[in-house]
Amino acid sequence: MLAKDQTDPEWAWSPYRPDPKRPWNLARAGHLYRRAAFGANWDQLQQAVAEGPQRTVDRLLTPEGDVAAFNEKFDRYEAASSGSDSADGLRPWWLMRMMQSPHPVLEKMTFFWHAHFAVSSAKVKNSGMMHHYVKQLRGEALGRFDSMLAGLSHDPAMLLARDAAANRKSLPCEHVPREFMVRTCLGTGHFSESDVREAARAFTGWFVLQGRVRFIPREPDPGVKRILGQQGNFDDSDVVRLLLQQPATPRLLVRKLYRLLISETDEPGDALVEPLAESFAAEYDIGALVGRMLGSNLFFSPAAYRRRIKSPLEFALGIVKGLEATVSAVQLGQDLAGLGQNLYEPPTADGWPGGRQWINGATSLGRSNLAFSLLDSQKPYEGKLDPMAIAQKHGHSAGESAGRFLLDLFLQGDLDDAVQQSVLKHALGEAAPDGDPSQAVRRLAHLVVTLPEFQLA
Amino acid sequence: MSPTRRDFLKASMGTAALASLGPGLGHCAQAAGRRLADDTVLVILELAGGNDGLNSIIPFENDVYGRSRPTLRLTGDQVLKINDELGFHPQLAGFRRLYDEGHLSVVQGVGYPNPNGGHDEAMLDWQSAQPHQTNRQTGWVGRAIDACDSADVPAVLFGQVKQPFCLNSQKTIVPSIHSLQDCTLRPAGSAESRPDHRRRLVEAAELSRAESDNPLLSVVQQGNRAAHAASRKIEEVIQSTSTSAGNYPRFPLARYLSTIAQLIRADTGVRIFYTGFGGDGIGGFDNHASQRDNHAALLRHLSESVAAFIDDLKRQKLLDRVVLMTFSEFGRTIQENGRKGTGHGSAAPMFLAGGKLKGGLVGEHPSLTDLENGGPKHHTDFRRVYATMLESWLGFDSQAALGGGFEPLDVFEA
Repeated sequence: MLAKDQTDPEWAWSPYRPDPKRPWNLARAGHLYRRAAFGANWDQLQQAVAEGPQRTVDRLLTPEGDVAAFNEKFDRYEAASSGSDSADGLRPWWLMRMMQSPHPVLEKMTFFWHAHFAVSSAKVKNSGMMHHYVKQLRGEALGRFDSMLAGLSHDPAMLLARDAAANRKSLPCEHVPREFMVRTCLGTGHFSESDVREAARAFTGWFVLQGRVRFIPREPDPGVKRILGQQGNFDDSDVVRLLLQQPATPRLLVRKLYRLLISETDEPGDALVEPLAESFAAEYDIGALVGRMLGSNLFFSPAAYRRRIKSPLEFALGIVKGLEATVSAVQLGQDLAGLGQNLYEPPTADGWPGGRQWINGATSLGRSNLAFSLLDSQKPYEGKLDPMAIAQKHGHSAGESAGRFLLDLFLQGDLDDAVQQSVLKHALGEAAPDGDPSQAVRRLAHLVVTLPEFQLA
Repeated sequence: MSPTRRDFLKASMGTAALASLGPGLGHCAQAAGRRLADDTVLVILELAGGNDGLNSIIPFENDVYGRSRPTLRLTGDQVLKINDELGFHPQLAGFRRLYDEGHLSVVQGVGYPNPNGGHDEAMLDWQSAQPHQTNRQTGWVGRAIDACDSADVPAVLFGQVKQPFCLNSQKTIVPSIHSLQDCTLRPAGSAESRPDHRRRLVEAAELSRAESDNPLLSVVQQGNRAAHAASRKIEEVIQSTSTSAGNYPRFPLARYLSTIAQLIRADTGVRIFYTGFGGDGIGGFDNHASQRDNHAALLRHLSESVAAFIDDLKRQKLLDRVVLMTFSEFGRTIQENGRKGTGHGSAAPMFLAGGKLKGGLVGEHPSLTDLENGGPKHHTDFRRVYATMLESWLGFDSQAALGGGFEPLDVFEA
């Protein structure tokens, strides 16, 4: 349960200002980088601590690097990998973006929308369309939700994924408008079956033909429709407009972002959701909403801290980012699929189950083994991650000093005393003179990232 | 539930987890009304490409069969006779032996109304168990395990097959495994540092935390305990079978099945395994041309692998807990084409192998004159076979997976 002051919306969404009771420190900087991005390296953490929360949030949302040039370059790589019926050629590029982008928040949010408007390549079977669909999500991932929704209502991958490639006047297809109502905008209880049927009539005229979206002028149903309490000669863009006018839409999106950015253990009360939903509805500016949540008192409170289970993607990239390298994205894509998170192939239109569902005996074992092979000096990742080199770079040689550094890097030193002692005791043991010190630090890093605390975001 | 198994579940999930899972696990077990229901295991074996049922169970005395298959037909002295009309393909000698031992049931004439003739469409019908519906999202196994609401790992995908649609679920992560080593904690092998590192790993993960108000921390710790316990179990099995591995042939499918047998023996709580072989490329079941030798080789691969699996389980006294079920997206046309092959048909037999089966033929061989898509018409809906596996075998509620209305078949011993 949230403590009383944490449910006060006025306090919760006001900007966090450090004070002696709630100091700006390494732990809060690490928390911000875990949620907003895919973790941080040591220099990023240090810079964040030096610059303070507001400046760090601003820099995460509007980075200094040339984001446009980076994305254009990767758009070209992806376009060159399109042209098959599978996303196997696209997947490594997206993982490379996540590892290397000067704007990781953009990739984090693009992936959030991929799970929200979940389209699977296993169904679409056209990598060009999948590329176009994700590019569209990226274009508005921190932009405008209204534009994203309008774009997706005509997106060929979305239409194929929902068996909605032919929207005939004589046979209106309900799948896409139903999905917008049930899952991505309104939520159950905020529409009727008749709204779905009428909205399907307004979606008529759109077809996917030979890989392209086409509007066939003789096919739209020109009649009057009654949708969500309004009546008119509506077309699909009107349906999008009507959905965005419903107060249920910003509320659903705020709640979903709350699970990503604040907590998946507490369902927020209406009073907490309402102020954000109201201001979001004015412009549907996603970046502004995300920025407000990330900079808030609630975000930096115990109610949000480690109150989310990392997805396999967040888990693996947290290790990679911390150790300042890039690993084989082809291999990583396969390993993440084995843990249940195959990029471009969400299991159902609901996206990935997430949360506590990420964790069971098999996936826990799989995470430990993935961390082991990421940190191992052998195949398949071939020792691209070198924890001893990173510890030395930042002034720590092997042994207890390296152990403390790794705990600070990955967990900001925030760990139960007994557990910390256990890890450090082993750090000393690992430094045995007969062993190879770099191998010992690899083992030590494995020990740190398999701690239960590292599974939490 | 045997004491050892209950102890293992406790050890792997923690008593708190068992208590909080009560409704989930209990629900699944209750649906069966059988004490040992949660010990049973289903192995689903996909034969991709469309297996020719008429070249598996052969109506050798039937004139229509003989006339329709000038080059592919097999005669009474070639088949492994079941009775005066039907016989196994000569390469199904392993199946024939299992049949004689009462461990094989052949469900004949299985299909569904208005069958699809395309591979992808028909496969999706079988995998979703929602034929002809549009915008399908979940598979039949996915819905069944979602309805179980268990934190245990109810199903795994094994082998070099693409994630099948039938495992698509809304609430459950179905892991895919490629080898037994995927199921044990690394580092493995004989490195000197290994036992130490393992002990440290387990100690640091399982130590109780003073800050215990975070519910997610205990979720993760339970997952870790389950992982460590499963890994220990599987390592014990690997060690004890390294010298006495079953007598498996050198086929990929046999390798998958031998590993599945070891995982069943380790008893980690997995109820459903999915694996497969075939495909529509060269060497798959989709034999549009030169079928005779191709299909014979595949049947041998299938039959010898499954027979070795069943023998292995029998030797380990696990056979009473396991049923293997084959399926394929369709059978083939009765009429041979001009390239000594066959086209996409409709109904075909499904093979069930296990220790608790009654064995024998289930249902009539379908008529060879009343056809659909050029192949025999079905008389048994495949969802009845699924219902049999879910309800009668696994003790799951089949309502959620199949929507009800599919009566289980009477294939198990009382």
